[in-house]
Amino acid sequence: MKALTNINATSFSDAASAAQQARQQGHAVAFSGGGTDLLQQIKDGTDLADVIINLRSVADGRAIESDGAGVSIGGLVTLTELSEDPLVNSGLSAIAQAAGSVGTPQIRNVGTMAGNVTQRPWCWYYRNGFNCFKAGGDECFSVNGENGQHAIFGGGPSYIVHPSDVAPALVAFDAVFQVTGPNGDREVSAEDFFLLPITNPERENSLVENELLTGVRIPAVSANTVSTYHKIMDREAWTHAEVGVAAVIQRDGNEVQNAKVVLAGVAPIPWRVQAVEDFLAGQQISAAVAREAGEIGVQDAQPLSNNAHKLPMVTSAIEQAILNLAAG
Amino acid sequence: MSEFTREGLEPLATIGNDTPRIDAIERVTGQAKYTRDWKLPGMLYAKVLRSPHPHARIVSIDTSEADALPGVQTVISYENAQVVWGAGSVNGGRQYNDPTKEATIHRRYIFNNPVRFVGDSIAAVAATDRHIAEQAVSLIKVEYEQLPFVLEPEEALADDAPQVYAEGNLCPDFRGEFAPMVSDIGDTEAGFAEADQIFEERYETGFIHNAQMEPRCSLAHWQGDKLVLYSPSQGISNCRHDTARDLGLEDHQVQVITKYMGGGFGNKNQNQDADVIAATLSRRAGAPVMLEYSRREDWLGVHGRWPTVQYYKVGVKDDGEVTAMELRAFSGMGPYRKNSGGISGMDAYGCPNRYREISPVYTNRTTSGNFRAPSEPHGFYGVENMMDEVAYQIGMDPVEFTLKNMRRPTEEQQFTNYTLDEVIQNGAERFNWQGRRRVTPGSDEGPIKRGAGFSFMMFRAGVGTSSAIVRVNANQEYTLYVGVTDIGPGAKTTMGMIAAEALEVPLSQVEVVWGDTDRCPYSVGESGSRTTIMTGIAVVEAAEDLKRQIADRGMPSGSDVLIASASPTPTTDGKTRQCFGAHFVEVEVDTRIGSTKILKYTTVHESGRIINPSTARDQIRGATIQGIGQALHENLLYDPKTGQPLTPGYYRARHLTHKDIPDIDVHFIETDDGYGPFGAKTAGESGIILAPAAVANAVANAIGRRMTSLPITRDKILGAMA
Repeated sequence: MKALTNINATSFSDAASAAQQARQQGHAVAFSGGGTDLLQQIKDGTDLADVIINLRSVADGRAIESDGAGVSIGGLVTLTELSEDPLVNSGLSAIAQAAGSVGTPQIRNVGTMAGNVTQRPWCWYYRNGFNCFKAGGDECFSVNGENGQHAIFGGGPSYIVHPSDVAPALVAFDAVFQVTGPNGDREVSAEDFFLLPITNPERENSLVENELLTGVRIPAVSANTVSTYHKIMDREAWTHAEVGVAAVIQRDGNEVQNAKVVLAGVAPIPWRVQAVEDFLAGQQISAAVAREAGEIGVQDAQPLSNNAHKLPMVTSAIEQAILNLAAG
Repeated sequence: MSEFTREGLEPLATIGNDTPRIDAIERVTGQAKYTRDWKLPGMLYAKVLRSPHPHARIVSIDTSEADALPGVQTVISYENAQVVWGAGSVNGGRQYNDPTKEATIHRRYIFNNPVRFVGDSIAAVAATDRHIAEQAVSLIKVEYEQLPFVLEPEEALADDAPQVYAEGNLCPDFRGEFAPMVSDIGDTEAGFAEADQIFEERYETGFIHNAQMEPRCSLAHWQGDKLVLYSPSQGISNCRHDTARDLGLEDHQVQVITKYMGGGFGNKNQNQDADVIAATLSRRAGAPVMLEYSRREDWLGVHGRWPTVQYYKVGVKDDGEVTAMELRAFSGMGPYRKNSGGISGMDAYGCPNRYREISPVYTNRTTSGNFRAPSEPHGFYGVENMMDEVAYQIGMDPVEFTLKNMRRPTEEQQFTNYTLDEVIQNGAERFNWQGRRRVTPGSDEGPIKRGAGFSFMMFRAGVGTSSAIVRVNANQEYTLYVGVTDIGPGAKTTMGMIAAEALEVPLSQVEVVWGDTDRCPYSVGESGSRTTIMTGIAVVEAAEDLKRQIADRGMPSGSDVLIASASPTPTTDGKTRQCFGAHFVEVEVDTRIGSTKILKYTTVHESGRIINPSTARDQIRGATIQGIGQALHENLLYDPKTGQPLTPGYYRARHLTHKDIPDIDVHFIETDDGYGPFGAKTAGESGIILAPAAVANAVANAIGRRMTSLPITRDKILGAMA
């Protein structure tokens, strides 16, 4: 492994400044929360960082707090903490379930909320060192290659799928993303935080150089809100979602007043299926309604040569998620 | 759950009792010294440069910057270190055969030009620490001329296919002739003419890496003209002999030490290139050299099970009698012929007319080689899915169809014993086969469908040459010297138990010395499921000799010792000796999302008398788990456009995690056929043979569609249901 410089940041703004300074000196820089994925990427040569800004020395960003306006989740909260937190489990269960489904206990004990949301894609071309869009190149090798795990929504020119389980759940709760950079802090809506490859094929989100995700703020949810995260994996642990569904609904008895349905594993960003949300509003949850919602969920899918099998999976996953939210 | 049925067998004092491994404490407390744990004074660390291309000619190589890097001691490459790695490629894949290795047409060197797969080795560096070695490798400049490549064995035999060697892509056989491996028994033409119905199908299986926990490594240390090699070998005697031959030494000039090793599953037989590279670097540097492969290097640079394509044709009468069987098949060997490329299974049937033609084919994928039961799981998957399909097509119960058609002893070919009927019937009862299987496949209402599958096997358990030494001192302390290593099945413990039983003393009175060619006599090596039966017989004979000496001369006194050694070459009197097994599986397939869940898994094995029940049971379980992984998950996917591997490593290959593993019931029917040590047969490999076949048959029974390609992933199930 090559020589690395480690800088222990004292705060998020210190981390941003340190990153800016290192970049100005010509270094490639990476922020490290849990570092579970970053260090492997550096060893594999898919991340070229030679300066690591260590965030484990930052005291902030470790709390899950509630006030009248909602719940704040610090970026450095571990996935285990997030999955076990009583507050999150009581009102925001889709987030807890998503966090608890990530990787393995070892990864969840170290990996952070912000790291999970901003991790790089697990596309086998990108991770095997192909010079694709994600590596700064100008090609997506999956289009005419092995694309069984690739995007059926929102693809082009890159067809990666976003790897986070937590992100779709955050989007489904209208989370606001808190960002710190060398010039201060800013807040970004879920809609603006994740970027489709058509906008920027190299990155998955709108963080610019030297910026980092420090936390999220979830607006207050009403008492009649229920949520779930349903994940289909190709083994029982240590893998990403083949298809995931984060569903958040406000219901009156069994009637849906309002729904948010966001998919994982099928698009380059957490993928909102608004047609499903529109369909569900005003419906009584039933097996037939859940089924129809699932079918509506794939209406706009554009499968590649070898990933059409994801369509029935999405249909089934949405159906299951809705059924999970039926009253009593 | 597990059960051992020992009807009619005399109970023994040590053998047959659950016995903890004699090295369990060292292993679980971290005291066990694995190859990577050795540190020698002045030791250097090595790293290998590997090809990034599937097929390329090296136009030039410039190591000057690497040479000049402070800390670098030695850089070797295909230009200045042309050492043949004899076990790396052999005519016909025949390991353990010096004349064949000598006559091999397509020899493999420790470094190659042209390079023939992504991961082929080109050069190596020894430096004062790991990081310098890694940096030095990155400083080596190589200019490649990329060549056309071919990945699929059938495509590789097309007229216009890129040629891995000038002679073409069909691998030469052990005689050096470019011909498929053919077995032609009886008259298939007449057999098919006799049939009422003929069935044909194509089956396909993937590349499965051995995926042992410990990646390849080797520590070489020259002491004058003698090489001391610390290596995680599955056969220290063979590793010594191969290494001596590759380096132009006599066997006695090489000492191989394997105190503890982290598994191999066939990946660490013979010597490996790491041994020869480390030895070559060490000799030039004049210092001990430790070479460690990363997980990725191990995955791509060593070997895994060969991918196959199998075309079957079966003729059957309306009453279920099979009249003819034919297999035409292709095994993808990668660019070097490390092992046979065999596809077994058809020979488990008694049909008198059988034709089998296997073409082992060179491709530009990573090398194929031995993995636990090298020729069996993919072959049994193919033939037993074929036969399962035939049985359902003609309206027969597959178990009944098997009992009618499986191979049985004949006048011409007797068995030392034959328990396959009992094994199958026992399994069918335990599993409730009639209750679980769907007479009409796919007949469950609704999207979640259950079904049951079965498979059976016989697997060689022949005896052969090995050696052992036993010593006793005046304190009645016995020492057993056996050249074994423990790759997982517990060979050290097993050998100690056999010695204790034969010597009629408790195991605690027997010390076992293993894993060092300078201290231990020849042993066959932990491959081919041979250690228990072959080295075990040598242990029994040496112990019997020692007992005779004690009877004649009394126990030694003072500092005297008595020593006995044995190197028997037992036979089975012309009879075939086989172990037997049957697996029964119930699955639940969710046809909406293409997932397969195993609900019940029952295994019944007859492996003779079981020496140590706890390790025997775990061998069957562990092997079954690997077989389920082959059935449902594992494959090494390649990008067709670039020839790059996409799914190396545990994450990508989707190995079963603990949460994926079902309960696996293991039952042994114990017997003593009078041949093995106390009647023991083999167990280690046999458990892996049946899972791919049984799981695939169960899926077919559940969904009513035959899965003709492994692994059975969601996309295939959803594709079949669409």
